[in-house]
Amino acid sequence: MTFRNTTRSWGSLSKALHWIIVVLIINQWIIAERAAQLPPKSLAVLKALWWHKSFGITILVLAVIRLAWRWMNPVPDLTAETRPWERVLAKISHVLLYALIFAMPLSGWAMSSAHNYSVSWFGLFQLPNFVSPDHELAERLEDLHGTLFIALVVVAALQIAGALKHHFMDRNDVLRRMLPFGRPGKDA
Amino acid sequence: MTNYFWILIAAGVLCAACSAGEKPAAPAAKPATTDSAAKPAAAPAAAQTAAPATAAATASGATHYQQAANGGSLTFTFMQADAVNKGSFGKFLTDMIYDEKNLAGSRLTVTVQIGSLTTQDKDRDDSIKSADLLDAAKFPTARFTATSLARNAGGAIEAVGKLQLHGVTRDLRVPLQIRSTAGGIEISGQTSIKRLDYGVGQGDLKSTEWVGDEVKLQFKVPLSRTG
Repeated sequence: MTFRNTTRSWGSLSKALHWIIVVLIINQWIIAERAAQLPPKSLAVLKALWWHKSFGITILVLAVIRLAWRWMNPVPDLTAETRPWERVLAKISHVLLYALIFAMPLSGWAMSSAHNYSVSWFGLFQLPNFVSPDHELAERLEDLHGTLFIALVVVAALQIAGALKHHFMDRNDVLRRMLPFGRPGKDA
Repeated sequence: MTNYFWILIAAGVLCAACSAGEKPAAPAAKPATTDSAAKPAAAPAAAQTAAPATAAATASGATHYQQAANGGSLTFTFMQADAVNKGSFGKFLTDMIYDEKNLAGSRLTVTVQIGSLTTQDKDRDDSIKSADLLDAAKFPTARFTATSLARNAGGAIEAVGKLQLHGVTRDLRVPLQIRSTAGGIEISGQTSIKRLDYGVGQGDLKSTEWVGDEVKLQFKVPLSRTG
């Protein structure tokens, strides 16, 4: 496995970014669900959200790196037998996923700012407020943050379904080549 | 919703307006007196308490000033979840007798309505005003009363007085910058206090891990000459 991507396989950095972001997003969801169960306005909620915001900003940074790396590297081709509609669907879902991994943290950061709660990244430094304090805006951003998450789940499900179809029905290596230690098969 | 975030405390709140310098001007060393003792003196409105002093002071060349109608600002900053957050008080009254040639005979009183504080997040404001923090229902006002001005070691003017907050009264010296304006003077400066010195923070909020102990206060208040 190489560090950079090739036209046939994902390099190690691309894979690492992919899976780290996946794990962080699942972690974000767990933290948010737990925070929703805590007594409102409690310090426990503040602590939970400190982690949520810190990880969220981490995801944003990783998303920037991931996008930049994608531009600097070849993207592995889909297999020759991939049908045109599959290519279109794959393209759309990729664009949406990238958009969402930016939009989720940005909407969260904006929401915090609108509530006049500045965001600290793991206590190491404080981010500037992104928008001015505005209660109405904050409420709308909260709704947006939740809606974007649902969209993320839907698009991720589509991706997973596509990956499983490639693996089990088309029997190609589209799924395998993104697995952490997977290697492109001979049919690649 | 907002629940989430939460936070806070600003404990800070407090305070009288004053301020100055950078860090603590407050001696913190003195034992606090309880509110019951302090209250009677504090009860009258600032303007009223100052009035008697005015007559005496003006005789010797001092001038009586009151906060101009357009207000001025009294803000506070505090650490919450490792981030600096800001709030302000919408209602406070400043009354001052100032004689630049007689600092010891000068006076300053600032009375702050705790209920007027805002951090621009209602949940946080409610929690700051709750019994766990400032307890605005029980202690609706905070007051800084300086019975003299003095120069510190660096030559800067400080208001030497006491801050009564959350039922606790402690000594506090607040650096003041005073400049002349068309209708009077403008005082400005900053100082900081520790919320726990004033018993602001009950239960989990006694910890300073998520809500800092230090609360910085900044003020800039135009004062008009009276009479």
